[in-house]
Amino acid sequence: MKRNLFLALAMLLLSVVSFAQNSITLKGKVTDPLGQPIIGANIQIKSEPQRGTITDLDGNYTLQNVSPGSTLIISSIGSRTQEVPVNGRTSINTILEEDYQTLDEVVVIGYGTAKKRDLTGSIVTVRGEEIASRPSISPVASLQGKVSGLTMVTSGAAGEDPTVRIRGINSTGDSSPLYIVDGVMQTSINYINPADIESMEVLKDPSSISIFGLQGGNGVIIINTKRAAEGETRVNFQSYVGFQVLEKKIKVTDAAGFRKLYDQQLANIGADPFDYTNYTADTDWQDEIFRTGFISNNTLSISSSGKNSKTYLNLGYMTQEGIRKLNDYSKFIGRLNEELKFGKYIKVGADVIGVYRKSNPAAGGLNSAINAAPIVPIKDADGNYYATPSFQRAQVGNPVAAIDIRDGCDVNDGYRFTGTVFAEIKFLKNFTWKSSFTGDFSFDEARSYTPLPFKMIYLGEGEAETEIYENKLAKTAVSHSKNFYKNTQQDHYLTYEQEFNDKHRITAMAGFSTTYRYNNNISGNRSDTTLVVPNDPSIWYLNIISPNNPGSYGSGANESSTVSFMGRVNYAYKNKYLLNATFRRDGSSKFAPGNQWGNFGSVGLGWIMSEEAFMKKLDFISFLKLKASWGTVGNGLNIGNYLAYPSLSTGGVAIFGNNIYSSVYPSYIPDPNLHWETVEGRDIGLESQFLNNRLRFTFELYNRKTHDILTRVTLPGVAGSSSYFTNLGTIGNKGVEILLGWNDKIGEDFYYSVSGNLSYNKNEVKSIGDNIDFEIFSDPNMTRSGYSIGYFYGYKKEGIFQTQEEVDASIQKGMAKPGDIKYADADGDEEFTPSDRTYLGTPFPKYNYGISLSCGYKGFEFSIDGQGVSGNHIYVQRRNYLYAVTNYEVNHLKAWTGPGTSNTEPILDITRSNNYLFSEHWLERGDYFRIKNVQFSYTFKKEMLQKLGVQKLMLYVNGQNLKTFTKATGYTPEVGIASTTGGRDNGIYPSPTVYTFGLNLTF
Amino acid sequence: MKTINIYYKFLTLLLVATLAVSCDDFLDRRPLDSYTADNYPFPEGGGVYDQEIFAAYGQLKAFHVSTMGFVAAANIRSEDADKGSSPADGPTIKQMDDFQLLPSNAYVNNKWIGYYTLVEKANLILQAVENDVTDTPEEIRTQAIAEARFIRGYAYFHLVRVFGNIPLIDKIFTDVESETNVPQSTPAVIYDFIEQDLIFAAANLPSGWSSNFIGRVTKGSANGILAKVYLYQKKWQQAMDAAQAVISSGVYDLNTPYDKIFGEEGENCSESVFELQCYADATYKASTVYGSQWSQVQGVRGSGEWNMGWGFNSPSEQLDNAYEPDDPRKARTILYAGGKSYYGEDVPIGLPNPRYNHKALGNPAKMASVGARSSFWMNIRILRYADVVLMYAEAANELGKATEALDKLEWVRARARNGNNDILPKVTTTNQGELRDAIHHERRIELAMEHERFFDIVRWGIAKEVLHAAGKTNYTEGKDELFPIPQAQLDLSKGVLKQNPGY
Repeated sequence: MKRNLFLALAMLLLSVVSFAQNSITLKGKVTDPLGQPIIGANIQIKSEPQRGTITDLDGNYTLQNVSPGSTLIISSIGSRTQEVPVNGRTSINTILEEDYQTLDEVVVIGYGTAKKRDLTGSIVTVRGEEIASRPSISPVASLQGKVSGLTMVTSGAAGEDPTVRIRGINSTGDSSPLYIVDGVMQTSINYINPADIESMEVLKDPSSISIFGLQGGNGVIIINTKRAAEGETRVNFQSYVGFQVLEKKIKVTDAAGFRKLYDQQLANIGADPFDYTNYTADTDWQDEIFRTGFISNNTLSISSSGKNSKTYLNLGYMTQEGIRKLNDYSKFIGRLNEELKFGKYIKVGADVIGVYRKSNPAAGGLNSAINAAPIVPIKDADGNYYATPSFQRAQVGNPVAAIDIRDGCDVNDGYRFTGTVFAEIKFLKNFTWKSSFTGDFSFDEARSYTPLPFKMIYLGEGEAETEIYENKLAKTAVSHSKNFYKNTQQDHYLTYEQEFNDKHRITAMAGFSTTYRYNNNISGNRSDTTLVVPNDPSIWYLNIISPNNPGSYGSGANESSTVSFMGRVNYAYKNKYLLNATFRRDGSSKFAPGNQWGNFGSVGLGWIMSEEAFMKKLDFISFLKLKASWGTVGNGLNIGNYLAYPSLSTGGVAIFGNNIYSSVYPSYIPDPNLHWETVEGRDIGLESQFLNNRLRFTFELYNRKTHDILTRVTLPGVAGSSSYFTNLGTIGNKGVEILLGWNDKIGEDFYYSVSGNLSYNKNEVKSIGDNIDFEIFSDPNMTRSGYSIGYFYGYKKEGIFQTQEEVDASIQKGMAKPGDIKYADADGDEEFTPSDRTYLGTPFPKYNYGISLSCGYKGFEFSIDGQGVSGNHIYVQRRNYLYAVTNYEVNHLKAWTGPGTSNTEPILDITRSNNYLFSEHWLERGDYFRIKNVQFSYTFKKEMLQKLGVQKLMLYVNGQNLKTFTKATGYTPEVGIASTTGGRDNGIYPSPTVYTFGLNLTF
Repeated sequence: MKTINIYYKFLTLLLVATLAVSCDDFLDRRPLDSYTADNYPFPEGGGVYDQEIFAAYGQLKAFHVSTMGFVAAANIRSEDADKGSSPADGPTIKQMDDFQLLPSNAYVNNKWIGYYTLVEKANLILQAVENDVTDTPEEIRTQAIAEARFIRGYAYFHLVRVFGNIPLIDKIFTDVESETNVPQSTPAVIYDFIEQDLIFAAANLPSGWSSNFIGRVTKGSANGILAKVYLYQKKWQQAMDAAQAVISSGVYDLNTPYDKIFGEEGENCSESVFELQCYADATYKASTVYGSQWSQVQGVRGSGEWNMGWGFNSPSEQLDNAYEPDDPRKARTILYAGGKSYYGEDVPIGLPNPRYNHKALGNPAKMASVGARSSFWMNIRILRYADVVLMYAEAANELGKATEALDKLEWVRARARNGNNDILPKVTTTNQGELRDAIHHERRIELAMEHERFFDIVRWGIAKEVLHAAGKTNYTEGKDELFPIPQAQLDLSKGVLKQNPGY
């Protein structure tokens, strides 16, 4: 709108000023450092800011009636603005350098946009180019390490979203941020093509997020998808192909190591040795369940822009094979964006996305490969699989058999259609009314088949003979389920924009929004007791099996809704003094009437010091802004739908003889007073750029409190097994975020940039459960005032008892034997009691950091990103598996076998239960540093391409998760950070290493 | 300009007014696929409270109420059974077998939660009756209360024997935040509470149910459990009276041959006083929804067709040697590796355990019809008539009524003899001590591998002697009679709950 006003004014002024003397017509070209034209760059005359033009598709511009002594301001989003004196020239070519943090850029802030410099909040923008070439099917995963204060746990499973936390855990409930895709609220954004993203913005502080309310307390990630650019028709093709592999295996014993340790273990409990006669294999089960997965993403986009219409069409196909066998995911995405103008004042548009996706789940258990004994062969020449030995058969099966039996037995696919229509009307000069309606519909379908089991070979043990067994009791079965999701949203808001006397700039907005979410599902299965259903996916429908066969059926549904009113005022005085204020009133169906509404708001102040006269003298300062904000935001979407209502469960049955009777009991204990959780935050920050914008530095301090945290509480056992969900207490997150960047050129052609970010976050429970007179404890995660949420609570380990004398001299006298873990007397009472348990560490990283380096020379560009965390611990829960004999992780090879043999690993004796108490023995440091991304690219010179009719061609190779430096022993140190039960590694899906080769081509 | 302003103001006002009215409707979302307590259309007629009552029956056969931890606490701890399975498997159960139990043991906590959930389900029935403002007939209310109180009394009876000092919960909490951290009551208080519940149940439960409610608790079930509750408190006369009430009811007899009491064929036979009902068929597949893992956890841990379960609760050598010569009950109690099953199958040699609980072995024909080898469908016998008869004998002997005691003892031995008069000679001693030993022995053999032995030796005061003789020398008097209070519960209670002595 502003631009239209400027143009209109420019026209007006043109007629008045056009007779100016000695004016010249200026022509030129704007390019980037690689010589590529910059399209749509702004050319302005400094003395006449109303006058200007933009570059065309080839980066060319023409500006008439320019005074020879004037100065041009040349700017473009994402580039550093330049001032060029005309000095009487008639042709000026300019190279604009890239600038990642341009302050004049316009950012989307929810219900409108704002100049970044006018904001008092903390917003980090990541541009689409940084996302598109990263081999992640979920676009959010590419943010890791790029944004300070953002913690992420990426999942290696094909098609799965990562877990994202902004500035720590704010709630003991779900702390996922809110995603806003082109203004529409979403909980998952995996339907978006990463190549189709214009920019992503991470909003961290209350002054930025409070306008979103609802779930914004956890932070907001705004995703803006691409629109048609100015100019004529353009075709862009982006593609990469690559493969992904397991970064590292968990170290477990081989057959010899297993035999040694199992013998040791049996001897330690006085049992007879196991008969290995027939178990002669040495199988590495991890090699068998993992594979090299193919990965590819291909996107074609066409954009066209006319006088009154803009069209953008995007087609994408992406496919990803998981590194676990059978796991794959592929999707087709089509998107059409259309905008039409009616005169100057009315704009309407629509955006339609259609997605088809197809997936196959991973088969078998991830942990079975580290649990299965390596002495078992996989299968014989006739295709019969070997069963695991008797000591683990009931709990751990042959991992390969578990995969192979499911091969081709699942047909999962789904469709998603998202459509938005909007209309925008400008009136009375300063007002804009915008209304939009969105419908988002998903249809998921899953069919699966239960084949007859394989013939299994049970190897003889002791007196038992080897036998081949075919389970004649098993039957084939098919199942079929459908899920439907419907989300709708409407937004209506009025914006008022005005500038007075060149001093006051005000933007005010008032709006109204509703959302509605609904889903239903239906599923059934039948097993055929007489026929064997063939392994043919085309006939896996329930009716292939006669209805007189056993089966079960079910369906269910869920809905929720919200209503919100919001308002905002952004005010800038003399471009120096800034005020942002917001108010929001949210209602949610998830709370009972009477508690549905909450009021939230924020105030932010900013001072652009570099605009002050006394600062302008300091040449080395390009930009300096101080800012402070306070605000509250509601949190309440990531909870169950009907928790305030006394819902009944009818799942249980009573049996009398051969009769089955239904029953009813409360599903949970409802809290009728359940209400909004409120995040209250204070922020102080500094944004600065020095030395002609080459050096960037931002510094932010924040102090956040989450009041009335929505939490599921473990009740004392006497309350039965019902769960209880309530508003619990207050937790705090305090932290610092620092970003430092430098970019420069050496000579004409070589440029480079270095940047690093570091954030420190301290999570502390302020007060918890004031009304609750029991402990919030989910062993071993303790939640207590004064500590981080869900910290590890257990015994300190001093070593291993070497001799009986040492035992007798300790607090564990009479309770321990040599070879057992020696615990510290934490409470100093000279007795070994549960009160010796103490704080052992937190599952949440205190430090998150990222570092990026990039450089370029004549079309070649190289970049490397690293990312890491520090200060957290991981509970190696997968080793504390107490239900069967499993393969050993290699740390057990150092198990104590006699005095002096080990002071770290206790005796291998599963009956010495004291050694299984939760202690430091089960913790390891979670620190890691990961080389997240390395990319090398070449952009062809334009002259080379012109003959082919190609505008731009870039080729690149990219490696992701190349190497992780850590002492953690799991597949990945990125362990789940779910609040009250965080930091447990119970078999985490590995983050794969991904290598890709790609191209980006524009016609 | 002014008119435009007014027009806008009016429009805004209208919009806001419309929104305010419709918002609350738009935000009113209640569960779509489940009832809430306000709109549940309770069935008409006699079964008004059946829905809540049946939920409690569902909980009775829950895993942590009547399966692994139940079998372990009652039998694996005794000298009659070894932990079983493979040597290093199931360390949490081995802790119980070895009397190295730690308060952190997961089964200990799960048992606590499982049984208190059962108490909660019973209290929910009582609450439903109390909250019922309709004109439901008094006898229906009373009967529902009786059923609830039976289940609650039964739950507390297990809790008090296992944990000793426990919190007494007799209502549904109205404020879980402030009410649930309840301190413990002494066993005397708990026993008193149990007696009241069971006396009420015995007075108000029916003697039997129609055929579609087989296994629902009766007057006999209540009197039988009540007799045992008295027996544990050495209230001999009351125990004898309660047992007599069962005997004279005429509902039960010992006519079912011993080898036909167990397995599928003996379910709900004339011997059954209280039996947890389980079910599975080809449609209602083997699962804990309709059935229980009770048989599976004790099932033969073999391969192929003999891969029936986990092999816990393996009959011990001591039990094997405890039988009188040629006692036919032994063959129905102990299944030997390399032996023959009740169903005529040859049991393979070289199984991980030498013996399995024969009473938990499923019928191969049933396995074939369900399509599963783990017998989820097998009912769990909680109280058999023979148990009641032996309780009578024990109480009578303690009261010096040797003749009556001998008479009842002979009922049980005669049935065991199964017509073969060369075995199991009639006990004739009237010496109270000798007769006591004979009755104790008979209880051990008749109810072997069921859920009595550990609790019996503790209440007879012979646990240390018996267990130490069997090599379980870790057993410490004054400590190991009870489980520890679960550490998880102590932690949650912030010191309100006190640990049992010795832990």
